[in-house]
Amino acid sequence: MKRFLRIFVILLLFLSISLAQKLPYSTTINVLVWDDAHTKAVATLIPEFEKTTGIKVNFIALPTRSVLEKAAIGISLEKTDYDLVAVDEPFVPQFGDLLFSYNLWPEGKVFRKVSLNEIAEGAVKAAYWGGVARGLPINGNIYVFIYRKDLVEDPKNKEEFKKKYGYELKAPENFTQLRDFVEFFTNPPKMYGFGPFTVKAEGVTCEAIFMFSSFGTDVLKVSGDKVSLVLNKDKAVKAMDYYKELLKYAPPGKLSFGHSERIQAFNTGQIAIMFQWPALIPNHIDPKQSLVADKIGYILPPAGPERRAPVTGCWILGIPKAAKNKQAAAEFAYWWASKENAKKLVDAGMNPVRKEVLADPEIQAKRPWFAINLEAFKYGVSRPRFKAYARISEIIQVYWTKGISGEMTSKEAIDAMYNEILRVLREEGYAK
Amino acid sequence: MKRKIIKKFFFFLALIILMIEFIPIYILLSTSFKDNMTIWTSTSPFQPFKPTLEQYLGVFKETPFTKNILNSFYIASMTTVISIVGGSMASYALACLPIKRKKEIATGIILTRMIPQISLAIPIYLVMRSLKILDTYTSLILAHSTFGLPYVVWVLIPFFRSIPKELEEAALIDGCSRIQLFQKVFVPLASPGILVAATFTFLGSWNDFIYTLVLSNVKTTTAPMLVTTFWGMYAPEVGKMCAAGLLIIIPIFLVTFVLQKYIIMGLTAGGIKG
Amino acid sequence: MQNKLDFTDRSGGGISRHLFDNVIFLGPTLIFLFAILIYPLIYSLYVSFHDWKLVSTVPPKLIGFTNYINALKDPLFWNALRIQVTFILIAIPLELIIGLLVALLFQVEFFGNRIMRTLLLIPFFVLPSLSGLMWRFMLQPRYGLIGNIYYLLNMEPVDWLSNPRLTFLAVILQDIWRTWPFMFITLYAALSNFPKELKESAEIDGANKIQVFLKIILPLLTPAIVVACFLRLIDALRIFSEVYVMTEGGPGHATTFLSIYIYKNAFRFFNIGYANSMGYMLTIIALLISFYALSKIYKEELS
Repeated sequence: MKRFLRIFVILLLFLSISLAQKLPYSTTINVLVWDDAHTKAVATLIPEFEKTTGIKVNFIALPTRSVLEKAAIGISLEKTDYDLVAVDEPFVPQFGDLLFSYNLWPEGKVFRKVSLNEIAEGAVKAAYWGGVARGLPINGNIYVFIYRKDLVEDPKNKEEFKKKYGYELKAPENFTQLRDFVEFFTNPPKMYGFGPFTVKAEGVTCEAIFMFSSFGTDVLKVSGDKVSLVLNKDKAVKAMDYYKELLKYAPPGKLSFGHSERIQAFNTGQIAIMFQWPALIPNHIDPKQSLVADKIGYILPPAGPERRAPVTGCWILGIPKAAKNKQAAAEFAYWWASKENAKKLVDAGMNPVRKEVLADPEIQAKRPWFAINLEAFKYGVSRPRFKAYARISEIIQVYWTKGISGEMTSKEAIDAMYNEILRVLREEGYAK
Repeated sequence: MKRKIIKKFFFFLALIILMIEFIPIYILLSTSFKDNMTIWTSTSPFQPFKPTLEQYLGVFKETPFTKNILNSFYIASMTTVISIVGGSMASYALACLPIKRKKEIATGIILTRMIPQISLAIPIYLVMRSLKILDTYTSLILAHSTFGLPYVVWVLIPFFRSIPKELEEAALIDGCSRIQLFQKVFVPLASPGILVAATFTFLGSWNDFIYTLVLSNVKTTTAPMLVTTFWGMYAPEVGKMCAAGLLIIIPIFLVTFVLQKYIIMGLTAGGIKG
Repeated sequence: MQNKLDFTDRSGGGISRHLFDNVIFLGPTLIFLFAILIYPLIYSLYVSFHDWKLVSTVPPKLIGFTNYINALKDPLFWNALRIQVTFILIAIPLELIIGLLVALLFQVEFFGNRIMRTLLLIPFFVLPSLSGLMWRFMLQPRYGLIGNIYYLLNMEPVDWLSNPRLTFLAVILQDIWRTWPFMFITLYAALSNFPKELKESAEIDGANKIQVFLKIILPLLTPAIVVACFLRLIDALRIFSEVYVMTEGGPGHATTFLSIYIYKNAFRFFNIGYANSMGYMLTIIALLISFYALSKIYKEELS
């Protein structure tokens, strides 16, 4: 009889409870970051940070694509839902004007402000937009190639390879050797040479830029507010044709290869060589999920006909201009990037961005790819950096995929890519 | 004799249809009991394997699944309560009280249910943000009620309408107030309808994707959102995806079995006389 | 006394008392819907008339109908619309046919009829997002179901999700798998309500099964079919989560449904003015269809 009223009262009670939970604390910072082994490592040590500083950290780790979405809707010049936010390198120009420039970041009270000189150069470059560092580079991702060391060292393979190609089998130095290498190890249905990245995502843009740059052409030239399309179609077609050649030696499903598929295929021993982001390498050396955990070698990306072009994929930590807790946010960033912390974080699975940590022999013994990671930064290539990047990236993904899948010829695909980019540049007011 | 053969034939036909229909569910079930290596080296989903609880343990230990499924449960329950309380009162009014432009109001409320969520997600985000309740249970409960409430109205109007007028009049003569009348007479009589409406409101909230995607962060994320992060991210966690996925649809299975009689009514929302 | 007054209200007097009841019963819902639904909708209309970018230092600028005009000129908008319509025209009739045939099959009282009927309901209640993920998993050419089938047939596995046509087909199959049981159960319910004598008398008259079906059952079933198709149509217009997790709209733009395209413009390209204008057009399409359907199908309930 009174059931209804009772339900109503309970409802009101619950509502008020859930409303009351959301009162903001002045000592809490909201930190928005991507979710992977790196940030998981950081999360484990946050209680320590909270104890030393009294700053409570609301650490929001989300899948990469969601980070961008949340940042986009949550941050404006007047308002921000986050005090510290991770921004992926190609989106730095877009968010740049909303972020507090790094040289204005306050000194830390507990942790020392990190000098950008202490950080790998390629990663520092990622933080700059319009001549100003927009934040603190925190994650030094750059193309590193991983390959099956055990197969290369196998004397039988060495002998056969020499007979077939006329030179010693070793980890490939350049694109010619890479092609021979992937062809040599392809032996369907168990074994394939190459692990591509083809599922529609930023990874495809990276592969395209890797190939274009290796063959000597950029997509866009950005200087100040001026953006011009500089894609050399002939070189781009050659680059695409070369990638198609590599794809011949990739496993079934090669045209929908994303991170999951690549990790799975490599770990089950089906792939001889592929690129990998250093942050993801821990997935390959975990014996619980990898049959090849102790059989992996690390090299720089093989050099293309024109240059060696490891693509960078760094994250920076930015403080939105509208943030109320700038001091506390900066403190947290300094702690994250501090030297004292680095070793603990590395043990927990973090990929560091500090030069001295990457170069530390003791750490390198445990994490052999750190040396390559640091070396790769000397050649780093970044994706086109300007405000309408997302639309350009989408076009590159669509037509690169159409080209390599054979839905269009390489020439058609590159022509279409060129025209579409031009159309968007016009729409966005960069070209006439 | 002939009839018997036909029946047998139909039985097998139905069985085959059922088996085909259940292949994905079987794969979901079996994969959730395999370890990663077994999944990745599988040559047939029907080959025998050694069952393991590894994926389930992983889901509970390494991911915030417990918290997220509790979130789901809390949000769906509260959405249901709000929708049922508000919706049943409104549909009672629209069915039984003398209101001008009843038909237009009812149509208007029901129409709001037809708006694609993608069109509402962005403005609702902006509204929640200005109320400063992003990433709270309240925001998700309110957002989910936008489809729950109109749905309840839609289902319940015919139920209230079918209650004889004489009952109402008799109760009023006996000295009941409107609210008492509603509680004592109408709610009990419409209880099958309320049950249906509650079930489907709960399921709608339980299954929601877009609003959770836009409105929630870590704290209020629901179990279905968590499941989608097991794949497409960095580690291929198909096993965990299946384990968590199965745990999420188990409540739905239970509901289907217990309430199957009412489900048809709910699906067509009173459009077909049951 | 008061109650008596209340009673006489029914025949016309005492406006204020009515008003009180109406406000108590209807008020909360209307206020709620206005605040959380109508207001956002109006706000969205306001946004759609602006050049409004997320992540921007430039304030939104009023540009009238430019977003709408741009959408109508945008080949990708039309592409999304075409995909949506093609999807609806292929998926819903197939679901209807399968559902109808199985519903007819289940009219015969064979062994296990009841339990199988219940089990067939289950797929419809699987979350769309989980269904999308499962299909993506099954379509994995190397360790998914489809890969296994190709290996069994000794063929090189085909990668469905990298082929535009096959991906579109996969999305349709996924949808059919999940929703034909809905058609089935609605039509089964309608069929079960027909009086038995109807069929029997027709059979006695010497009509064969097909004639009985076409002349008697089908016309009687039409209202149920219309309702079921309408409900599916509304759902099909907002298809999002299953595609989002299954293909993300790819490969190319092969499965970029309207919702996906709107989402992309809002959260990938941050152009929420533009996204809202397309969202509004989608809303209008959905509302027009619904309004028409409501006034035809549900007029009895609403009058």
